[in-house]
Amino acid sequence: MHIVVLAKVVPDYEVPARDFELQQFRAHSRYTRMLGLYDENAIETGVQLKEKYNAKLSILSYGKEDDIPILRKAVAMGGDSLILVSGISDDPYVIASNLKMAIASLGEIDLVLAGQQSADMDRGVVPGILAQMLEYPFIPRIRKIEIMGEDWKVEQQHESGSRELAFSGKGVLSITSIPENVPRIPAVRAIFAAKKKPVEKLSGISGIAMNIDEISVEVPKMESICEFLPVTDMRETAKILLSRLREERYL
Amino acid sequence: MKTLIIETIDPKRIGELATAALALGAESDILAIGTGDIPGQFNKAFQTDEKVAVNLVPSIAQLIRDEGYELILLSATTVGSEIAGATAACVGAALISEVIAIGDDHTVIRPLYGGKAVGRYKITQFPVVLTIRRKYFEPAVLTGVTASIPLLSAEGPGIRLIADRPQQSEGVPLEDAAVIVSGGRGVGSLENFSLLKEMADCLGGAVGASRGAVDEGWASPTQQVGQTGSIVAPSVYVAVGISGASQHLAGIANAKCVVAINKDEEANIFNRARFGLVCDYKAIVPVLTEVLREER
Repeated sequence: MHIVVLAKVVPDYEVPARDFELQQFRAHSRYTRMLGLYDENAIETGVQLKEKYNAKLSILSYGKEDDIPILRKAVAMGGDSLILVSGISDDPYVIASNLKMAIASLGEIDLVLAGQQSADMDRGVVPGILAQMLEYPFIPRIRKIEIMGEDWKVEQQHESGSRELAFSGKGVLSITSIPENVPRIPAVRAIFAAKKKPVEKLSGISGIAMNIDEISVEVPKMESICEFLPVTDMRETAKILLSRLREERYL
Repeated sequence: MKTLIIETIDPKRIGELATAALALGAESDILAIGTGDIPGQFNKAFQTDEKVAVNLVPSIAQLIRDEGYELILLSATTVGSEIAGATAACVGAALISEVIAIGDDHTVIRPLYGGKAVGRYKITQFPVVLTIRRKYFEPAVLTGVTASIPLLSAEGPGIRLIADRPQQSEGVPLEDAAVIVSGGRGVGSLENFSLLKEMADCLGGAVGASRGAVDEGWASPTQQVGQTGSIVAPSVYVAVGISGASQHLAGIANAKCVVAINKDEEANIFNRARFGLVCDYKAIVPVLTEVLREER
């Protein structure tokens, strides 16, 4: 069994809004870079599948060579190999085309896992586009994967609950976060071992981008209007708060 | 512009998409997923009872080609995700997800970086698929029903539904609640969420949670509020022990009044709050519940 996990290196998503700055319509380059929020859940899910089914786990990323040291965390978590397709496009079709090209170079694969959405563009559309390019089905928001006979059985989280789905053959799944796939902290030995693993570097292809004009990207102005209530007498505080909420017709 | 709304049979969701379509100057056809009457007046109303939306992608692609749709609108939901990317790639459409506003001349606005930035995009390629973030468009009032035309089915990937497990929620559904009391990692334990539930019950509201609290297993994923959970627009949102990560704030952007309770006066949630209480929530939440009970 061969599982490919897509991972994207993104600017620090924990930078508070008040400190956030843009540089040429993108997050300022001074921010630390890290693995995407949900990508780590996808990697953890992949590692658990590897452990359960003795699978091979490849980590695949589209991005810059500077991302390699950050991507090594995915290897330290349990990835067997790391493949980087060089490219800087933000277009989902271009990214998916590059990932498809890389996947084709990996030989036989069974599943492609991705995070629910990236932590920079916040789109969540690349896995669906990639699936169609690969002619695999795409199922989003997956929280559990297992083999059921000849099929995959997956559990999907949706807005009002969850459901179990089954399919045969290959597929692209986007992974949501649940307590069971909180990313593991790699052991120090694994971190050092990951540094020595070779990285397969592929040259990106140009692909065909969507015809959408990005007119502007701005940081919205956020003016704090918070009124701090006194907290010396909690009963009094509770009464003031409820009174204010009613005065201002929120309650 | 020939427009197709694709949505489950839910008047609010369909109404939000109808509003978005009108903002783009388009009257719409609809592909309704599910059984029952299709609410609203549409030029054409296609219908399918397929339970797994992924299986519809080839049929939808065929419909788009046959009818010549230029604009395809879906909600940014699980069903929307199942259909949008694959369908766009299938018909060679442009794709913009999580649209929160529509401007003049085919421009749309969507958030980036967890809502810390917003981008404005001009659509210059048709067909285009847009997913619309919930709660950002006032649902159009849908009157009457439209007679349905069965969707012609093309062979799909054959994903099978084994079991559906709707979350049994007591009281008001999160997305419809006028008051939400929501807890984060600062709540500290599963047991402590009962304090939030008691307060929410007194206010006729629902209990929500941050991603951190859901990851800890203190709340169910269906209670998650935020960019990748539920997008909510209550009148009052009480954030208890929630730091205010931008991904969480993206889910409460349309809350009318945020009350933040947090020990850390530097917590980002206070930047979004109308009222702030810098204290241990265990000191104030039970007292608020008590006062509310006394007022009954």
